[in-house]
Amino acid sequence: MQEPKSGVKGADQKLNITTIPHIITGQDILAWIVTKMKVSTEEAQAFGTMLVAFGYIYPLQNHKKLVLVPDSTQYRFQTPYFWPAQKWPAEDTDYAIYLAKRNIRKKGMLEPYEQQHYNNFHKWMNYKWDFIVMQATEQYKASKERKKPDRVVLDCQERAYWIVQRPPRRTHSAMDTGLDRLIDPNAEEILTFDVVRRTNIFLTQALMRSAVKSSVSLTAFVKYVTTHHVHDPFLTSPVPSNPWITDSDDFWQLNSRNVEIPTKLSVDRWALSFWELISDPRGRADFKLFLKKEHSGENMAFYEAAEEMRWGAATAIPEKSQFIFNTFLKPGAPRWINIDGRTMGLTVKGLDCPHRYVLDAAQTHIFLLMKKDTFYRYLKSPVYKDMQKRALVPAPHNFTDVQLEANAKNRNPGVSPIIQWQQQETEKAAAAAAARPIDVKAMLATNKLDRK
Amino acid sequence: MGKDECKTMLDALNKVTACYRHLVIALGSTSDSQNLREELKKTRKKAQELAVANRTKLTALLKDKTTSKDDRAEYERLWVLFTSSMELLEVDMKRSLELGQDFPLKVPTRHFIQTGMTGSTTTVAARAMSVQNMKYDADSNIDTTDLKELQAEITQVGQMMEEMQMKVQVAPWAVEAKQEAGAELKSTLSIGNSSVGVISICEEEPKDEMDEGGDDNGMITCVAGFMFIVIVVIAGVLGYFVVGG
Repeated sequence: MQEPKSGVKGADQKLNITTIPHIITGQDILAWIVTKMKVSTEEAQAFGTMLVAFGYIYPLQNHKKLVLVPDSTQYRFQTPYFWPAQKWPAEDTDYAIYLAKRNIRKKGMLEPYEQQHYNNFHKWMNYKWDFIVMQATEQYKASKERKKPDRVVLDCQERAYWIVQRPPRRTHSAMDTGLDRLIDPNAEEILTFDVVRRTNIFLTQALMRSAVKSSVSLTAFVKYVTTHHVHDPFLTSPVPSNPWITDSDDFWQLNSRNVEIPTKLSVDRWALSFWELISDPRGRADFKLFLKKEHSGENMAFYEAAEEMRWGAATAIPEKSQFIFNTFLKPGAPRWINIDGRTMGLTVKGLDCPHRYVLDAAQTHIFLLMKKDTFYRYLKSPVYKDMQKRALVPAPHNFTDVQLEANAKNRNPGVSPIIQWQQQETEKAAAAAAARPIDVKAMLATNKLDRK
Repeated sequence: MGKDECKTMLDALNKVTACYRHLVIALGSTSDSQNLREELKKTRKKAQELAVANRTKLTALLKDKTTSKDDRAEYERLWVLFTSSMELLEVDMKRSLELGQDFPLKVPTRHFIQTGMTGSTTTVAARAMSVQNMKYDADSNIDTTDLKELQAEITQVGQMMEEMQMKVQVAPWAVEAKQEAGAELKSTLSIGNSSVGVISICEEEPKDEMDEGGDDNGMITCVAGFMFIVIVVIAGVLGYFVVGG
């Protein structure tokens, strides 16, 4: 690219007194890329902008805007030390030294974002601060030893490097540092016998696995996407508006756990499969209401109790297993569930030494029961049909820029998770109270069963 | 005293580290040359000597259990300075190895990046070595021979750092810095006055710089003019006496 004949034409930069060579203009770079790589102008433009954004070439005038402008804007090549490299990440210590040097040069007038970083470093890297100050002064003095044009170039280079590595606001830089890993991904892996042996085992096991035909799996995938794409916020924009974009949390309010009237989209989603109905808390509440009307709530209660045991604390397992046995599985239990004899026998035997997954067989049986029978009755029931009629279709928001700014300012933190947890606990207590076996004598005492 | 010796040696190491970094930045650019490689080698050797000397001194001081608490805090601060310098040096050495391998000198067409720097780095190296003028006496295949030595030296430095961390138990985060934010401004006020014309970097900032440059320029020309006049007057007076006497 630097050939005197076939490369980009270089020119001289003329500052007030000094002349610095090796300037290249944007349009020259663009023309050269087009001829050398034989691509269209747009591609060359994109490639050139990438070169600038990564920091191989830096602009001289608008130094914060890292794009290739195809006119007479001036650029210069960056020295290889400052090229971006994964091996040499830009360290905070170096940045602190650079900011200190800049402080000296600018006599204390750093830009606001630089000042912020500087103060931050002074706070968090305080133990190294002496070193940073000493190094900065020494580097400043060392750079003074060179001639004026070189000093200008050095300053420009370093500034361009740090704009790429620590971009100020609204500068798009291409830098993308990954996680701080303990192993170096660029290091060559030494092939020992053990590594080869383990790779062999892995590959033989992979071959032995039975694989689903791609035609089958892809059809399933396509089917899933076609049924669910309306519900995916990436594929269809959610109504009323995506809270992450417009900062208005109506969407979350309309889809919360204890909303009175759910949205049409949720209600439609419940009809897709029993699992969807159960996973949505609002849907689960609706289903439980239906079951209460049918007086067959014990299946759902058992399912929830089994889930609690599965996901709960290990210390609570014996106590929970006792409770479940007494409430659901004992012959003559108040909320006896109707599972087949074999499963019942296995479960009761397993409850002698209860562990997390003793109720798995029974839970699966109940789940299938609900899915194959109750679920379809639910979909045809007046509860569900009524809900479908009442469901809301919220109108999409159309915020102006001013309103968006106002929304961003008035963001509220939402319901505190502590309060949500308390609400859930009270609901659970109320449900447990309602599910307790009715004490006939107590009811007689309060004259509720008055036949007269 | 041990502390002052340490401080001067650390200052020297600091200076050499800064200059080494300056020289490594010039690698691969148009101001690269045979001389630069030699300067790098010499600076590096000096840095190693200083490092070894510093290390022995500091480890001796820190191993001494009889130092007072303040002294110990001071030595720990110096230790942090030393380790940070060594870290910078190590990274710079590794980078110079890589850059030296990527930009060889002995090929028929040298592909150096046209960065706009055309001057030489002699003065920086002279500052690092604390000599007036640099003498160049290396042979022509310095880049290849030097790189092998450089690899050995890098491993040496790495081992030294590991040893140091094993031997001396210093918690670096517990050290409190003596300088506050903005300390570098105070230390370089005197330097600012002696600069002849602060440069204007890019088109955005010519106005500020030129004013200050102008002030400096004006003041120094005034002083120079005054001195000139004084000398002329004295010469005139003496001449008058000679002629008269």
